Amino acid sequence: MYKLSVAVSLFVVAFVSTLAWAQSASSPELPAGPVQAKATTACTECHDARIIVQQRLSKAAWTKEVDKMTKWGALVDPQDRDALIDYLSENFSVDKPEYVPERSRSSAAKKPTR
Amino acid sequence: MFSRRDFFRNMSATALVASAVNPLLSWATDAQIAIPGKEDLIVRSYRFYDLETPVEYFRAWLTPAEHFFVRNHMHEPSTIDPAQWKLSIGGEVEKPYTLTLAELSRLETHSVVNTLECAGNGRAFQNPKVPGVQWQKGAVSTGRFSGPRLHDLLQRAGVKSTGKHVMFRGLDEVPGKVPPFIRSVPIEKGMDSDTLVATHLNGAVLPKHNGFPARALTPGWIGAASCKWLTEIKVLEKEFEGNFMSPGYRMPNQPVKPGETVKPEDTHPVTALNVKSLISSPQDGSTSRSPNLHIQGVAWAGESDVTRVDVSTDGGNTWHTAELGKEHAHYAWRLFSYPWKAPKSGDYTIVSRATDSQGRTQPATPVWNPSGYLNNAIDQVKIHVQT
Repeated sequence: MYKLSVAVSLFVVAFVSTLAWAQSASSPELPAGPVQAKATTACTECHDARIIVQQRLSKAAWTKEVDKMTKWGALVDPQDRDALIDYLSENFSVDKPEYVPERSRSSAAKKPTR
Repeated sequence: MFSRRDFFRNMSATALVASAVNPLLSWATDAQIAIPGKEDLIVRSYRFYDLETPVEYFRAWLTPAEHFFVRNHMHEPSTIDPAQWKLSIGGEVEKPYTLTLAELSRLETHSVVNTLECAGNGRAFQNPKVPGVQWQKGAVSTGRFSGPRLHDLLQRAGVKSTGKHVMFRGLDEVPGKVPPFIRSVPIEKGMDSDTLVATHLNGAVLPKHNGFPARALTPGWIGAASCKWLTEIKVLEKEFEGNFMSPGYRMPNQPVKPGETVKPEDTHPVTALNVKSLISSPQDGSTSRSPNLHIQGVAWAGESDVTRVDVSTDGGNTWHTAELGKEHAHYAWRLFSYPWKAPKSGDYTIVSRATDSQGRTQPATPVWNPSGYLNNAIDQVKIHVQT
């Protein structure tokens, strides 16, 4: 029984890890957090997450960005604005390590899904 | 009904579980991304494309189309039918008219070798950081652009004396409520004999990512002045009023302290490029097993000419004049080279600094501004020599 549950756990970890890797090949996901889903919906309707995850900004700068993007059509409920700003400024603050981007292949088999 | 939003929500839930299991995996970066026609470029953004050329591709005077950088402000036109495409010329002119691609391609063609650089190239090195595409060194490339002169198209329409600016509108597809990407240049630049409606790059039809079937080519100026997927040219009485003219693409009139806010009335449009250089070899962070190094790079100066490039192998304490390449054209970068023998094994910081015909040279550190434009600080690479 114990062996079985270990095997199942390993399978789940392997499966989910593969899933995460596959998604990273297409677009980096926004990090886990209380407004992750709302941030994904609001931001990635128009552009992929790369443009967010490469930024390293202060809270004041993130506030300006969120308000500009809301004016430009990002669907942010006014009740969620402050939480979204907190989420972005905590995850993509100036002290975070540099984001390392991928490179293009003109005929690679792996094609982003979004 | 399963909507696009539902799809994103489900993706997010999956990612939350996945990143909880192994957060490192969500930051994996060894993936390669399929982008037809663009090989080995750094993907700053996929949707929409912002693709940076790695500096090692700057060892040739002309950048091949597959390595030519891409800066898109919004989505590329989803479909362009060359048979249906039209270019209208109107506004403050006597005889507005429209051209098909077949008619455009029958006009007299002119070629300009131009170094095209995004105004935000080098933004990533600003301190404090500023928002925007975090370009490092390679939002720049050099190509031979060909097509009719804008002057000839405007002359045929007959520009009225009230016409002071030339507006370019492209077929960019606008997401959400984002303002359209429309910009203008002063009539003097529009009528310059080197300003083109370019249809070709390096002798081949413009790649779609670089503006097929036609783009403005405003030589020596920031890339944003060379609107892609051109569909309308309109002569205006005054500068176009829109987001990408103001507050976008403007610089403070006076130097500002890093982090300072600047009022819109204290800014001016960014136009011509600065004097600048990049080291294409050796590569930053590399180790050489030989003491003999061939230091190479490129240097450009917008509408001016590069007159010299100095290279330092000791972090900028002492300087040596590099040899400039034979290939030379107004608005195009010069290749430079400097052969050097490292005196002993160790770490070295190699620096390049260009000077132009106006006597301008590169600052030691980036000149900060709120949008991170025109960073032309001296370039440097750190290497290790192990013999």
